[in-house]
Formats: sequence, structure tokens, C-alpha cells
Amino acid sequence: MEDRLQRLRDLLAADRLSRPAAAVRLVCERCLVELSISGAGATVLSHLPGVDSDDDRLGRGLVYATNAVSAGLEDLQLTVGEGPCLDAFASGGPVLVADLAAETARWPAFTRAACDLGAAAVFSFPLEVGVVRLGSLDLYRDTAGPLTRVELADALILADLATQGVVADLDGHDTEDVSWLADPHVEVHQAAGMVQVQLGTTTDVALMRLRAHAFTHDLPLAEVARRVVGRTLRFTDDKDGH
Amino acid sequence: MGDVTGRVPGGARDQRLASTFVALADTLVADFDVLDFLGLLTERAVELLAVDAAGVILSDQRGGWRPAAASSEHAHLVEVFAAQTKQGPCLDCVRTGAVVTSADLADERRRWPQFAPVAVSAGFRAACAVPMRLRDDVIGALTLLSAEPVAIDDASVALGRALADVATIGILQQRAIRHDEIVAEQLQTALHHRTVVEQAKGVLAELGGLDMHQAYTALRAHARAHRRRLSEVAHDVATGALDPNTLLSDPATVPGA
Repeated sequence: MEDRLQRLRDLLAADRLSRPAAAVRLVCERCLVELSISGAGATVLSHLPGVDSDDDRLGRGLVYATNAVSAGLEDLQLTVGEGPCLDAFASGGPVLVADLAAETARWPAFTRAACDLGAAAVFSFPLEVGVVRLGSLDLYRDTAGPLTRVELADALILADLATQGVVADLDGHDTEDVSWLADPHVEVHQAAGMVQVQLGTTTDVALMRLRAHAFTHDLPLAEVARRVVGRTLRFTDDKDGH
Repeated sequence: MGDVTGRVPGGARDQRLASTFVALADTLVADFDVLDFLGLLTERAVELLAVDAAGVILSDQRGGWRPAAASSEHAHLVEVFAAQTKQGPCLDCVRTGAVVTSADLADERRRWPQFAPVAVSAGFRAACAVPMRLRDDVIGALTLLSAEPVAIDDASVALGRALADVATIGILQQRAIRHDEIVAEQLQTALHHRTVVEQAKGVLAELGGLDMHQAYTALRAHARAHRRRLSEVAHDVATGALDPNTLLSDPATVPGA
């Protein structure tokens, strides 16, 4: 497992060195190399929505796509208001459709238009950290058929790395520490909930503040979280801790 | 909740067993919550199987394993279940697909150098891990922990297997086993919900001055009293759609019970 993650992380780091671009764009391009797909697209938040927004559709998101069909599919879900990406958001898990033509009952408008665009299979992965919605990664193929199990593992890891990339772009702290995304100690997520109450803010802002604290104090995020959960570190409006 | 789950002797166990399967079957109807289901299953496993703690880990489908539910959310137990996603009976079980047991974890420092000391210092001496199998795959494991250094008996292991099978069915929900895709979607959704629940626990812990187990109990009590899914209530608490103060002052929600 570590090997797959390590390999993909190294490949993305090399991609980034050879051509500087947003992490999500590089993930989309890497998906095309690693997986049996025809195109990859993503719609991601460009800034935190703030407390007044409950915008689930990512209407103000940035769109990346490796080709015109993927761009069309990203656009399509927002226009018709249904599709795998929106379902992935609702469930929190991926939506994997090996044969799109068989799903007309599920998404009547999306399916017809997506097949017209040339998609025969679609695989959507939510980019989320609990209730923090950051975007979606959407893959398609022009022939029907599932992702293999190995491809699915890689796609999940690439979606994790995209999530990490979106967070890093949002808060400006590009750390190599991705362990918190699947932290079995879960304290990062508990700490985010605690800090959002301490600051009277939302979970996304709390997560960014935790990361900022870890970054400026040169601590692993898990350690910062442990201190918050252990109630030896509190966040206040201006300064962290003490 | 908590630590007062009396052991059930003899014939009473049969009745308890029947009621457990009825309760579990009950939650399998319609649009149920996998996490809530696994939580119930681990609690009932403790009551039925003469063990002190139970937990479920699930495949993250990236090659790793994540804790999904436990019979209690007390910190020491959470620590043990986190540790065993890296090493221990549970990991051996999911890797081999076989039941893995230890009659005394204090003697297992060579077998599991990291896991055994964590488990022993948390107060656990015996362990048994049962695979959750779906055809040729292992999608997770049910782990039973006992405070006494005595092998978990065969009857309990057999019942544990039955519960693990029920847990597997729960993951699949009521849908036919059509595709691997459905399993993948369900597993990922369950793990996502776990993150949401942790965020909501943090909110309640901070606001109500609760520990994480109390926060979890409060969440679940509210969900049950209002016949809502645990993950929905957790989502609403974390996003503020449900005022956490309302939940904490709800008479149906008794923190620390």
C-alpha cells in the first residue's frame, strides 16, 4: 500500500518539477497515464466558500480537463443538476459506472447527453474531508467496462492526492504530509470539530488553521491535533495556542 | 452504554442472540446507515461473546485498513484499534483470510512487537480476529478483545464468524451483489461517514465539555431518538445545520450515560 502511494506521490512530484501546474491538473494528467480511461476532469474550489454559503454545486469552482469531452462532462453535471459527481458528493463515496448507457433511469438527462459527448463509462471521486467539500475528480472512458481493482486503488490514491493538493492550494501550505487524509487515529478530524467551536467558524476554516499552526510550528499535523484533543492547545481568534 | 454490559449465561444467550439478529435485520431495511449498523453489531458482540471489546476494520481499497466501528469510543480502545490497522491479529486475519487468535497478548511481543504492548497497556490480554469475507475477498475484520488471558472459546469464535458475515451483508446493504463497484462505493462511503462523525464528535466535545465517547453517545442517542441516520445527524452537527446546543440540551440525548 505504502508502495503505491509512494510511487504515485513521487511521480506527481516529478511531474510538478517538469511543468509547474496546479496539483489537480497534474493529477488529471497522471490519471490518464495510469488508468484505462479516455479523459479526466475535475471541478475544485478556488477559495473557501465562507460561512454564508451552502453551495453544494461548486458553481464557482475551477475546472480542469484533459480533453474537450471531459470539459463537457464537468459542465454538463452543473447544467443538468444530476450525474455521478453530484451523487458522489451526496454519498461521500465514489460513483463507479462501468456501463453508462444502462443508467438512464438513474440520471435521464445526464446519461443521454454524456453518451452523446462520447462517454461510455464514468467514474467520479469526491474530493472531501468529512463535511469539507473541495471538489470532484471525474474520469470517463469511451468504451464500457469497469476499472480493475488495481486501477481503483490507484484512482482512490490519486483522488487523495488531489484532495491534498486542493487544500494546499487553498491555504498556501504545501506540505508533504498526506497521512492526515486517512489518519486511523482520527484525531485530526476531532480536532477540526473542536477548533471550529473555539473559533466560531466552519470545519474547513478550522482545518486550514490546524494546518497553518502545524506549518508555522514545524509540527506534524497529527501532533497538533493530539494537543487539541488533549486540551493542551486551544485556538483563539488572533493567535493559536496558549 | 459503557462498561456495564453483563455477560449473558446459558439459555439467556440464545434469546439474546435471537434478539440481536432481529435488531440487526431491522436496521438492514431501507436506507440504513452502515456505521450505525456496525456500531450496534460491535456492541452486541461484546454482550454475546463474553468479551470486553469489539471492533470492525474495513479495507480502504488502497491496500490499507481503517477502523470503522468499535463497541466503545473510549480513547484507550480507539488507540488499540488504530494500532491494529498496522500490526496485530486483525491485520494478520485480513491478510490471510483466516481466524487469528491469541490467548495471551503479553506473550506476543515477538509476534507483534508494536501491537502487543499497546493492547496490553490498554488492558487487553486475549484477542480473536474474524475475517469479513465476500467470495474470494476479505473486506474487513471483526476483532474481539478480552481483559482475561484466556483463549476466546470456540462457541464465541463461531458466533463471531456469524456476526462477521452479517456485517459483510450490512456493507452490501440490501442491494444484490451485482458488481464489485457497489462494494467499493459502500466501503468508501462508510469511511467517509466515519470522518464526518469524528468532526461532529469534536464539535460536541468542545461545546459540551465531553470526552469523545460521550460525544459519540450523544450523537447516537439523538439519531436514535429522532429516527435519523447517525451520519446525517453528524453531518448536520458539523455543518451547523443542526444547532449542537439543541442536541446537547435534548432530553433524549444523555451524554455520559
